[in-house]
Amino acid sequence: MKRRTFLMGTGAAATMAMMGSRGALAQPMPDELIWADDLPGSLDPYSVSDVPMQGYMINVYDTLYVNKENPPKLVPWLATGHTISDDGLTVTFKLREGVKFHDGSPLISDDVVWSFHRLLNVKKGPAAAFLPVLDPSSITAPDPTTVVFKLKQPYAPFVAAFPLVAILNRRLIEPNVKDNDWGQAWLASNSAGSGCYIPDIASYQPVQQLDLKRNHDHFMGWSHNKSPIEMVRRRTIMETTTRVNALIKGDVDCTDGYLPPDQVDRVLASKTATVSKNQTMRVMVLRMNNKKAPFDNLNFRLAISHAFNYKGFIDGVLKGFAVRNAGPIPVNLWGSPKDLAPYDFNLDAAKEYLAKAKAEGAPVDREIEIQIQQHLAQTTQAAQILQQGLRKIGVNLKIVPNLWPQLVSSTAKIDTTPDMWAHWVSSYFIDPENWIGQMYDSQFHGTWKASCWYKNDKVDALLREARRLDDQAKRQPLYEEASRIIVADAADIWIYNGIELRGISNRLHGFEFTPIGSGADFRTMSLTS
Amino acid sequence: MTRFVLHRLLLTIPALVGLLVLTFIMLRVLPNDPSAALAGENATPGQIAAVRKAYGFDEPIWRQFVIYVRQVGTGDLGNSIISNRPVIRDIAERLPATIELTFVSLLFAACVGIPLGTLAAVWYQSFFDHAMRVLTVAGLAIASFWFAIILQMIFSMELDWLPLRGRFPVGLAPPAHITGLYLIDSLLTLRFDLFGKAFSYILMPAFTLSLAGLASIARFTRAGVLETMQKEFVHYAEAAGYERRRIVWVYVLRNSVVGATTQIGLLFGGLISSAVAVEAIFDWPGVGSYAVNAILTSDYKAVLAVTLVVGLIYSIVNILVDVVHAWLDPRVAESL
Amino acid sequence: MLILRKFLRDVPAVIGFGIIVLLCLVAIFAPLIVSDLERVYDGDLVSRLQPPSAEFWFGTDSLGRDVFARVIVGSRGALQVALTVVALAIAIGVPAGLYAGYTDGWGSQLVMRLTDVFLSVPQLILALAIAQLMGRGLGSAMAALALTYWPFFCRTVYGEVRRLRNALFIEAQRCLGASTSRILFVHVLPNVASAVIVRATIGMGFTIMTTAVLGFLGIGATPPNPDWGLAIAEGRDYLPQSWWAVTFPGLGIFVTVLGFNLFGDGLRDIVDPRLRRSR
Repeated sequence: MKRRTFLMGTGAAATMAMMGSRGALAQPMPDELIWADDLPGSLDPYSVSDVPMQGYMINVYDTLYVNKENPPKLVPWLATGHTISDDGLTVTFKLREGVKFHDGSPLISDDVVWSFHRLLNVKKGPAAAFLPVLDPSSITAPDPTTVVFKLKQPYAPFVAAFPLVAILNRRLIEPNVKDNDWGQAWLASNSAGSGCYIPDIASYQPVQQLDLKRNHDHFMGWSHNKSPIEMVRRRTIMETTTRVNALIKGDVDCTDGYLPPDQVDRVLASKTATVSKNQTMRVMVLRMNNKKAPFDNLNFRLAISHAFNYKGFIDGVLKGFAVRNAGPIPVNLWGSPKDLAPYDFNLDAAKEYLAKAKAEGAPVDREIEIQIQQHLAQTTQAAQILQQGLRKIGVNLKIVPNLWPQLVSSTAKIDTTPDMWAHWVSSYFIDPENWIGQMYDSQFHGTWKASCWYKNDKVDALLREARRLDDQAKRQPLYEEASRIIVADAADIWIYNGIELRGISNRLHGFEFTPIGSGADFRTMSLTS
Repeated sequence: MTRFVLHRLLLTIPALVGLLVLTFIMLRVLPNDPSAALAGENATPGQIAAVRKAYGFDEPIWRQFVIYVRQVGTGDLGNSIISNRPVIRDIAERLPATIELTFVSLLFAACVGIPLGTLAAVWYQSFFDHAMRVLTVAGLAIASFWFAIILQMIFSMELDWLPLRGRFPVGLAPPAHITGLYLIDSLLTLRFDLFGKAFSYILMPAFTLSLAGLASIARFTRAGVLETMQKEFVHYAEAAGYERRRIVWVYVLRNSVVGATTQIGLLFGGLISSAVAVEAIFDWPGVGSYAVNAILTSDYKAVLAVTLVVGLIYSIVNILVDVVHAWLDPRVAESL
Repeated sequence: MLILRKFLRDVPAVIGFGIIVLLCLVAIFAPLIVSDLERVYDGDLVSRLQPPSAEFWFGTDSLGRDVFARVIVGSRGALQVALTVVALAIAIGVPAGLYAGYTDGWGSQLVMRLTDVFLSVPQLILALAIAQLMGRGLGSAMAALALTYWPFFCRTVYGEVRRLRNALFIEAQRCLGASTSRILFVHVLPNVASAVIVRATIGMGFTIMTTAVLGFLGIGATPPNPDWGLAIAEGRDYLPQSWWAVTFPGLGIFVTVLGFNLFGDGLRDIVDPRLRRSR
């Protein structure tokens, strides 16, 4: 008797499963977008400043300026414009009128001031760009549509960094402040913005899912978009293969921006999806610790620079979805010299430089180490390709896997900084300062961007002057000259400027890519069935 | 019997204390200083130091442990460094998914494994026995994520019979939250349509996860039954004319599953760890993938909390297993 | 001789034994089988992800390396890791289980509580902590796996010894004046040996499997090591179209584990004194 009921139960369950699974065949609702890119760790836009947070923030919050198009242009958004005083120390913004937060309250200059106060006190995320030049007391709001910033010293990339700072609704946050935390605990799983989409907090599961509803009253209006998307359902998918399969099957409308080049053909061949290819400003670089022998020897660094098979990596592994970048500034940004010749893969030249280094007494026989981020396959592949080249000229390279937080902390001191390590420099604000400035000015020693410990007084002077001036025409030659010197010094190995590959479904229209936020601007998107 | 249960409960306390100490020591050994990552991409060393101070990473270790024990006692396991929400809340949200997956896998493994093992023992050295042994080893040896992807390719992409990923259809409200286990909740609220949906989503992940357990249970059952069949009482029962089927499935089985139940208990803890790969492929929103993410982002409060919670669950399961063990084999309860 | 003949009658066990012998031969003679060891570490980036062909029997991987060569050389690492870990786990777990099972009192309780603690710590975390302590690499991964696996042996042995403790024949030995160690090693141990063997063979597969997960997190084998688990971890982004990069190392694992388990089964059937009667 027990067996019979057991069998009956199994049969019933199986039948229900078959009935239930017919729901699996149903496609997502025609007016809902299923966005399968990574969610940020927390919903507080001041908690961290990384690529997932950018993608979240540009939809839920508004900033004074935004970046649009590729190559990106700074476009007024909450602000209508700004003026800079002659000494470069006072920046005045004029705000748009009639802007409302999601809860209906008006967005005025006091909110901008409060938001920046919060940022400068919380000291995380995008704060790093502003802390050196601002004090909370130096931000004022003389009237509801004007905000005045007084800088401690001139800083050319100041306005370019404004797209990083979301303007928050203090009326929602202040009642929830605990222990002077400026509402961080509350905002981590809530929202207080004014942007084009409103999060449905009931649907929020950290890192996994969030639903967003369209904000019909957004100040920019919706006249540019005939059929805007009413509901966006963000779902994170962890495995690459599952993500691609889900896109091809029609379960989701996009993949993340790191579609493996080997999957591109498969997506293109499917009837449901296509691949969007856009040049980003994301430079892949192999760092060398210029203060650790034998890397302190120029000839040794030149030898390594010639032992990496750039063409093989870009054409073979990346299938051509990258652009060779000679120096630290992305080739599609001003400041990168157009005629700068990149190092090429030349084992004979490498052997010569190595011999010279050895003659100068550099300890070329010691085993050197490169630290990679094991779960980022490209760093492993690049390291192994370098290893192959080095083996042929007699240098032993050991590959050590590590994790991002540990790598970042290890760069605080010279002796804990690895010999070599691999990472990218992404675009957080569109200014050469984001790349060359923060990587090669010796004042940034102790941060991960400056982990090559490069010191050159002439370069320091060039970079500091460029940072101070605000006329691009004057800054450009300074950055170009600095690039040339740094490349001649072979301070690091710059490999490529990325091309973002993202799978998107055929029913998605209006996907507009910018290097910041990776084009996840739902405002311009619409769906056709 | 009650004495046995109480005794067993008392024994868990030192184990849990040991777990606390062990995990704390282990995790403080990790170079888990996320200050730099938290301070932001463009932070200066001064800013990083400020973050470190704000989070208390610079306190001496023994002081951190004292604070930690006090917090655990009050149920405060701290905030996730990444999501800035109480860790216990993050885990509580994700735990039901893993529990459900583990239970269904275990249920499947036991329901298939025990009969298979028994039959293999009864038909000792037959083709069935050999085939079962080979097949169950295959279950152990197949890389779970490779198998998962194959299942996805066949049943989801090609045949479109089963959903590709996730726990429940996007946009559909899950059953009312009573236990957090969708299968139970949907039955309790009599929503059989939701039960069907939840079942279709759990089918592939649970099957993939059950393979290793199936092998283990089947083989231990086989060994146990083989041994019991040798016993005198079986010969006596046969001679006395009892029906063979009854002998095997009622009397022999009850004496043989002791070994299998021990394995089931051990398996439960192992399954929670093995669930990591399965949770990743199928996007099952459980504790395994949460733990891996926490390790990768040096979110040590989350890692510690997961360890404690899993450890606690495991201890409870072990107690249950020992109790079942004692019920099945009264001699164990006596031998106290 | 009788034992040998009995063993030979058990076909799967013989197959298992054959697989193990083949595996050992392959591991020992790998440099001879793979004509050019360079193909394990160097690849032509242009011929990445080539399907199996006459030139590359198992195809090429994502860096253009010969998968066949990597699988063959990888067998060494696999055997090394599996054998070391299981041997270590047995060396710790079996004596502990014997002691805890046979005696009562504080010592026994302490051992069992220790197993509870070690068993309840998720493997991944213990492995990560030990890797940090000892430095990343195969050595620390093996130590970590052994430390997470010894409790299984301990518990298994404990359970068996507890059952046997009150058996008539043991009590008889005690009455005859046999010392505890004699009882343990001459009479009890052979009876628990079969459970230990079955556990050990399962452990082999488990170890190789777990190494793959550890490899993914950056513990254990490091590139360019042709470790099977690492190869699967590296190759899974190229499924399903470049299936060979994952399938052949996976087959290597499969065949290895199959061999050990089948052999272990056969061995246990012989060793177990309870099964010596004809049946």
